[in-house]
Amino acid sequence: MSNVTCSDYPAGVVPARGVSVVAVIAKKELLELFRDARLMWIGGLFALLMLAALLLGWQQMQHMETERAAAQNVSYEQWLGQGERNPHTAAHFGQYAFKPSSPLLFVDPGVTPFVGVSVWMEAHKQNEFKFRPARDATSLQRFGELSVAFVLQVLAPLIIILLTFSAFTGERERGTLRQLLGVGVQPMQLLAGKGLASAVILGALLLPFVMAGLIALPFSTSHDTNVDTAVGRGVLMVVAYAIYLAGFVALSLGISALLKSSRKALVVLLAFWVINSFVMPRIMTDLVRSISPTPTAVEFQNTLVEARKANFGHDESHPGYLEFRNQVLQQYGVSEVEQLPVDFKGLALREDDQRGYRVFDKNYGALWNSYAQQERIRALAGFVFPLAVMQPVSMGLAGSDTAHHNDFARSAEVYRRQIQSVTSEDLIRNRKYGDKDYKASPALWGEIPAFDYETPDTGWVLERQWLNLAILAMWAFAAGLFAMVTTRRLTPL
Amino acid sequence: MLQAQNLTKHYNDVVALDGLNLTVMGGEIFCLLGGNGAGKTTTINLFLNFIAPSDGKALVDNIDVVKSPVEAKRRIAYIPETVMLYGSLSGLENISYFTTLALGARPADDELLELLVQAGLAKEAAFKRVSGYSKGMRQKVGIAIAMAKNTKALLLDEPTSGLDPQAANEFARLLEQLKNRNVAILMTTHDLFLAKQTGTRVGIMQRGKLMSILSTDAVGSADLERIYLDISGSRWAA
Repeated sequence: MSNVTCSDYPAGVVPARGVSVVAVIAKKELLELFRDARLMWIGGLFALLMLAALLLGWQQMQHMETERAAAQNVSYEQWLGQGERNPHTAAHFGQYAFKPSSPLLFVDPGVTPFVGVSVWMEAHKQNEFKFRPARDATSLQRFGELSVAFVLQVLAPLIIILLTFSAFTGERERGTLRQLLGVGVQPMQLLAGKGLASAVILGALLLPFVMAGLIALPFSTSHDTNVDTAVGRGVLMVVAYAIYLAGFVALSLGISALLKSSRKALVVLLAFWVINSFVMPRIMTDLVRSISPTPTAVEFQNTLVEARKANFGHDESHPGYLEFRNQVLQQYGVSEVEQLPVDFKGLALREDDQRGYRVFDKNYGALWNSYAQQERIRALAGFVFPLAVMQPVSMGLAGSDTAHHNDFARSAEVYRRQIQSVTSEDLIRNRKYGDKDYKASPALWGEIPAFDYETPDTGWVLERQWLNLAILAMWAFAAGLFAMVTTRRLTPL
Repeated sequence: MLQAQNLTKHYNDVVALDGLNLTVMGGEIFCLLGGNGAGKTTTINLFLNFIAPSDGKALVDNIDVVKSPVEAKRRIAYIPETVMLYGSLSGLENISYFTTLALGARPADDELLELLVQAGLAKEAAFKRVSGYSKGMRQKVGIAIAMAKNTKALLLDEPTSGLDPQAANEFARLLEQLKNRNVAILMTTHDLFLAKQTGTRVGIMQRGKLMSILSTDAVGSADLERIYLDISGSRWAA
């Protein structure tokens, strides 16, 4: 043997290792994966699904937004074009409010297909939303639609599991772990290198879509959303999904370091994935329903009808009507409504509206609070199963959750009350009591501006989602700790 | 260079290694002989800190392998019974990977290729994927990895097991060259001929105990075989 050696270091002493070891491990992992046909198949399928989901979501959102804008304009034009009319009849004619698509709706349609996109704003009633796409769905669509959120929340973790379940068990089974630890590689360096390689692969798979999405955001932003809000939400969404997927990488590597065989690691990880993706959401839905029940739509409407019986509406024989009439007569010091300086019918309508608002605020408030309570209970599962918090965070940032829907409903209700107020005030001021032919001029309709709704800013979303984000971060942190603990105890035997 | 001080390993009530005291100096090849379960591989695993001792110490260059595992591993190279490599990488890529990890710096491919050739691997084979290698070819890559690390101590666990006679002979010559470079070598083997041919001293183990240490210069092949069989036979007599 010659004295040729591959380094200039004196025998028996080699230089200290640094982060380069992690990079070397990551590079080797990537090289192995690229030479493995599995990555090409899995990656190709994932990219195809992401592309399909992105295009489908974008096309649906654009279609919805175009229809919404047109319908909203038609509704307001119809309002303006009523001609001379009794103001209260005009209030009954009302307007439709169409919920605008948030710019990230193409990522996560959330509850949109189930809660409806438009509401009829008419006199006396705060109506339920109509036009729920889920109602028009075929039976096949009950299995769920492909969305970017579904791909990221359900399929991406599966891909992570398939790529990393044998990260350590495979090394142990092949015997290379013995070789690695024998040359002095520290287990934590292995963990970092394998984690880095997974991050690079995920980044390579997702980055083109993230970039495309962020570039497209300003173009998908309607006048209802500030561009900064859209970009802020988009960036936060990228961060949230990065935490979610990083947690899965850590969990998968941790399980692989903990268990002795690849088969066991795969079974455990797939079981976790199935529970997280399919079992937990159903169990939690049933559980929160039993802990914090909410009324059905029919029950809620019946409750509203019952509560509104205390209001008099157009019923001039209703005790409430008679009581109110006596109060007004007493207030003005007259004995007959004809003697009032203002139109009593207008006053009565305004009073009935005010009483109705209290009924609606109380009942809708209680309903929405119970929904929020259900979501808070459901989020507790996120400490173990991250989908329980990733879903609401994603929907919240996409503007497709219940909170956004309720915010729009509140905004529509404020607008409806504005219509009631303007039309009732016109009657009070201008109509003589008993003048059944009174008509307001078309100029009155123009006093009510077109309905305009601005999507809440990023801070508004954070205010509602900070707890879910914190739980998600804690879960990912715990998964990272788990991976570190199991890897630290890694032995080749 | 390599020292075992009362090195002991228990697995519950089973004694895998019982108070081993041993010193292997630079320029020495110490061969541990013994049947299955004699404690040979346990000794190697303890020096590599793959398992923790129940008692005693394993020292490499006076460094306790349990207290300073990283420092200790920097001073030793290791060749297992079957060198396991990454099948989708070539021999050259494998040695580059393991050597870079061991040294913390990436050596030139030319130098690594030369080491592979010195270890007996054909040059063209170095560029082929390891999945097509025989066991002998893998062992040669393992030897090259150990040579590249350029340490003063070498641990070998049944390194010639499964090698053909020619490959085993080449391996013996490589060990001789390493010994001449003042490397301390601790090797477990079943191969009495290899132990006599290459070893400086031979230790015969039985049921976790080092029963006898012999100088290979002072004992002939036939005597070594007889002593080995006597000690091993006593196992069955016990």
